[in-house]
Amino acid sequence: MTEGEFPLARVDCLSRDFDDEVLIYDPQRHEGHCLNSTAAAVWKLCDGNSNPSQIAEVLSRRFSARVDQQVVELTLEQLANVHLLAEAEAPAKAPSRRVAIRRIGMAAAIALPLITSIVAPTPANAATCLHGGQPCSTGAQCCSGICVLGRCFLGDRRKPGAKIRSSGVRDWSASGGTR
Amino acid sequence: MAAEGGARPGMRRLHMLYADSLRVARCAALDQLLEAFEADLHLYTATASPDLTFLHAGVVGWKGRAIVVPGSSFSGKTTLVREMLCLGATYYSDEFAVVDNSGLVHPFARPLGIREEGSHAQTKHSAERLGAPSGVRPLPVGMAVICEYKAGARWQPTPLSRGQGALELLANSVAIRSQSRQTLIRVHRLAKQALFFRGARGEAREAAASILNLSSEPGRLETE
Repeated sequence: MTEGEFPLARVDCLSRDFDDEVLIYDPQRHEGHCLNSTAAAVWKLCDGNSNPSQIAEVLSRRFSARVDQQVVELTLEQLANVHLLAEAEAPAKAPSRRVAIRRIGMAAAIALPLITSIVAPTPANAATCLHGGQPCSTGAQCCSGICVLGRCFLGDRRKPGAKIRSSGVRDWSASGGTR
Repeated sequence: MAAEGGARPGMRRLHMLYADSLRVARCAALDQLLEAFEADLHLYTATASPDLTFLHAGVVGWKGRAIVVPGSSFSGKTTLVREMLCLGATYYSDEFAVVDNSGLVHPFARPLGIREEGSHAQTKHSAERLGAPSGVRPLPVGMAVICEYKAGARWQPTPLSRGQGALELLANSVAIRSQSRQTLIRVHRLAKQALFFRGARGEAREAAASILNLSSEPGRLETE
């Protein structure tokens, strides 16, 4: 994301605030996301009129501490990865996450962004599935996902609500841990 | 509709179950067919209910609040619920946490489907048979515990933020895809009043006792 780009949060997602976190459901992709305080604050400022530098300024005032522009850029990269920003026509290549984290280092005044995501289960995924040997008519009914000759195959390969990704940046400042 | 197949010589007789034109089950034993019918009916109810959100979870009542244990099949919900019942909790469900618009959890007290050790087969046990009462009134949720069985694991729960906890509930919501807005609203209301913990458990009895203790004084672990 460059100075000339103005990130815009998608408006078709459903969201609910939990203190400083935000829970988001994407009805198009059927994915749920939990944004920590930093990711949530950045996401809410993605109004299409502010560039990363301006967002960093607003956050610095809000948190009464200097918020590095790279924190904002890292957050925007993560938000784009989970499709929570309106698609840019030709998204700029963000700096590597590892490089960005190294640069930001321990000097970050606020928690590093963290986004946890799940794939929403289908009704059959979310309910108790049929185990091996039970009568079935489709694979979707079986824990194994396999229905052979009217019986569920043994095994369990379905992962209801499985986490698809986490942004991979641990919230070091919140836990007081060291890298 | 259940119908029997023909009885021609050399042919097997099978029971068939259809939901409209979709075949739900085909099996020789009637009790298996009835099990499939019950499971399909529960799933239909969970999916089609406009005023309630169904979360795949075990639920007990404890000191006026509900303890919710969301999780997938084979995660050990029923075992944990059974142990909590043995320790004096009130039975609400081993399958669904039924959440209303206020975020309260209603009972869905079907007989517990307990799997015998080393088997996938379930046998049904009523809560009364286990010596536990069944809940009748909706309860606010005091605690939700995300745990999974891991042989030999020591139960050491860690607090989870409300946002992360609510995400776990969404991951076990039956109708999130078709009733996204209502589900999000109800899960939000439920989660606003609940504390969340996560951990791997070994023996269910140890975890059940710890969860009930934790529910009695949740601040203990939160402040640690």
